[in-house]
Amino acid sequence: MERKRAESHRGLSRRLFLAGGVAVSGGVAGLDLLGPASGVKPAWAQAAGTPKRGGTLVAAAEIDPVSLDPHTSSNFSSVQAYDHIYESLTGYDEKTNIVPALAQSWDISNGGKTYTFKLRPNVKFHNGQTMTAEDVKYSIERPMDPKTASPWRSWFDSIKEIKVVDPLTVQMNLDAPYPILGSFAGMRASGIIPKGLAERENLKIKGIGTGPFKLVEYVPQDRIVYTRNPDYWDSPLPYLDGMVFKVLTEENARLAALRAGQIQYALLSAQGAVQGEGTPGITVAKSPSAWVVLHYINVYPKPMSDARVRRALRMATDTNEVIQKAVFGGAVPSGPVPTGYGEWYLDPQTLPYLKADVEGAKKLLAEAGYANGFKMEIKCSPQYPEFVAATLVMQQAVKKIGVDMTVTQMEWGAFVADNAKSNQNGGREGADAYTSANTFRPDPDGYLYPYFHSKGNLNKGGYENPKLDSLLTEARSVANPAERRLLYQQAQRIILEESVNWFWYAKFNIEAVSSKLQGYSQSFTGRRLFLKKAWLA
Amino acid sequence: MRYLARRALWTVTALLGVSVLIFLLVRLLPGNIVDIIAGTEGQLTADQRVQVLREFGLDKPLPAQYFLWLGNMFQGNFGWSFRSGQPVAVLLASRLPITVELAVLAILGVAVLGVPLGVAASVSRSLRLRTLVQIVGVLGLSLPSFWIAILLMIAASYLLGWMPALIYVSPLADPWVNLQQMFLPVSSLALGLSAVVMRMTRSSMLEVLGQDFIKVARAKGLPALAVLLRHALRNALIPIVTILGLQTGFLLGGVVITEQIFGLPGLGWTLLNGVYQRDYPVVQGTVMLFAITFVLINLLVDLLYTYLDPRIRYD
Repeated sequence: MERKRAESHRGLSRRLFLAGGVAVSGGVAGLDLLGPASGVKPAWAQAAGTPKRGGTLVAAAEIDPVSLDPHTSSNFSSVQAYDHIYESLTGYDEKTNIVPALAQSWDISNGGKTYTFKLRPNVKFHNGQTMTAEDVKYSIERPMDPKTASPWRSWFDSIKEIKVVDPLTVQMNLDAPYPILGSFAGMRASGIIPKGLAERENLKIKGIGTGPFKLVEYVPQDRIVYTRNPDYWDSPLPYLDGMVFKVLTEENARLAALRAGQIQYALLSAQGAVQGEGTPGITVAKSPSAWVVLHYINVYPKPMSDARVRRALRMATDTNEVIQKAVFGGAVPSGPVPTGYGEWYLDPQTLPYLKADVEGAKKLLAEAGYANGFKMEIKCSPQYPEFVAATLVMQQAVKKIGVDMTVTQMEWGAFVADNAKSNQNGGREGADAYTSANTFRPDPDGYLYPYFHSKGNLNKGGYENPKLDSLLTEARSVANPAERRLLYQQAQRIILEESVNWFWYAKFNIEAVSSKLQGYSQSFTGRRLFLKKAWLA
Repeated sequence: MRYLARRALWTVTALLGVSVLIFLLVRLLPGNIVDIIAGTEGQLTADQRVQVLREFGLDKPLPAQYFLWLGNMFQGNFGWSFRSGQPVAVLLASRLPITVELAVLAILGVAVLGVPLGVAASVSRSLRLRTLVQIVGVLGLSLPSFWIAILLMIAASYLLGWMPALIYVSPLADPWVNLQQMFLPVSSLALGLSAVVMRMTRSSMLEVLGQDFIKVARAKGLPALAVLLRHALRNALIPIVTILGLQTGFLLGGVVITEQIFGLPGLGWTLLNGVYQRDYPVVQGTVMLFAITFVLINLLVDLLYTYLDPRIRYD
């Protein structure tokens, strides 16, 4: 069955290849995860000829960015907008490897407690100013300052001091080893800005960075206009003269604009992809991305405090059915760390609960003393229809084991507030579970420690497991990737066995790209990092 | 004059009422800007939450927040958007023209489409025309404008491969491009509303046409068209104008969704986004602007009555 699906996608790719003259491997990349080879292919990339300078890309932005401030916003929409303006000390390549960006090199000494970054010389900000170590110190200290109220502040907690050694050398001294620091790029809130800029400008709508594109203007709810940064350090990038992102939240409007040739790029849902795929001159690219749909379980109240109950509910629900109904098959099963993330994730074929096991689930419930079932409540927001769909599949499935699940739909702001409140009072109030998704973290730690360590600040209901605690703490101090990988694999197996949260799938990143836009590749991060390498044919 | 003074007093009272209501309603919504900033993934400590609340002035007691807002408003200061940091007055001023254009064109469309059709339906003896008008009326009343909007857009792009330029162009800069951009949104708004106006015109006309003075006009040999337009329509206009005034109010609601669908950065979408992001100053400012517009339109309609029917006097 799975084979067949992969086949049909291959057929489709071939057709597109003939029609548009471009090679597509996207549809295949994700599905191969389920095939016998089970290796993850790199994200989709459009085959292309020789790069060409010039042209302005007109693209659709699917959400209006909440703010362009790189340090104070947690919204992914903001990252998508400021990504082209700001850069960090390190960056990502197409395979999500960490590569040098504003730092040319860095070394770790003093038992992992000192990081020394050598900066790239002659990097110009968009205002012509040359970037120095002072700017880096200022930019990292800004989110660390409690007054900035950065939602990512805790990621910098272990930095004790930032020292300017010389204009091109920055040293960071830490309290304890913190291997995540090397992956500074993915850390939201790590963009480098000129010293003092935040005090001079309204960074929510203005921006001056070192990125491949300069911000021309941002008109909220309307458009974001960029122009090429001619002084970009990674010359001859970028190839485009400029980019215009028109905010089109309505997917039908994005599809209509693609079809009419008004835009050359748009993000699509799995449902929209079906319509987009038939559009002449448009390639629909798909590959797994860091978007794991899950239920945050509140393990404080009974019966959810019992691991057997949590496991039984997960066991009763068919993972594939969830994927089909929530995202029309556009995803792969995933554990806590999203499938396809470097070397950190669990092989999706080896994940438990792929197929529903109603009898096993009934037995577990009976063991836990709930042979006759019980009532429970899950909250979710129709802002993301897939969250609701996934939850409704579960609601139907657990009926078979006698569980009466109420699904409460809430407007997003209300949902977020309810979820936050439940976190703050240790799960004493709120629903039994919340449907949401985890997006890209610069390090696997971000998917595990905050949620499952007894001291984690997003640990709903105060889940406590000494074995898991020690694994997660140890993993934070181990620098050797192979050793860390082992620790994280063990930790993830425990989390799945205990069903602390219910994990479903890693969704495909689906981007519709005009055949005129060449050289673009998708990123596992879901960010549009490689527009700087794209050009219009 | 006394009438106007009394009206003005009522208007101010109504607007004050609206201001209290919207101020409280927006705060009754669960969640606030802090929750939006943190999302489900962000990590704000209790201290940080307080810090953000203080930054936005949300730590003060509600009456203090209200009177500060009200006082500032009397000085022309509508506050600053939580989200973009822009002054709300500047934001609204930049959004207002788009919504006004949308609403004015839609009302024009309704008048041009709905009134003649209604008149035709009232005098026609053709069963086909009357049935057609009935069908159009029922469809227009039952199809929501956002659905019509999506259908129109899909039809234009799939059948004709056409879609106007995406970035809004002011009619002052390029009227032709602007009209193209406005065509679909205005049509989607006007279609539904014309149905209402058409039915109202028809029934109002039928009533007037049965009266004695129409018979007199016909008896003295006036041409049929003159009877219809100068005598009948003029007298039938009062309920039509009332409906058009009310419709303008409904339009303000309609633009909220239409603007979002077509990506027009007008007041409607600004309001919707403000609500989603708990951007209190923007929501309050937009709603106040809507309320003022609504009140002014009602006043205008009342004054129009005296012009249309000189027998009506206010004193």
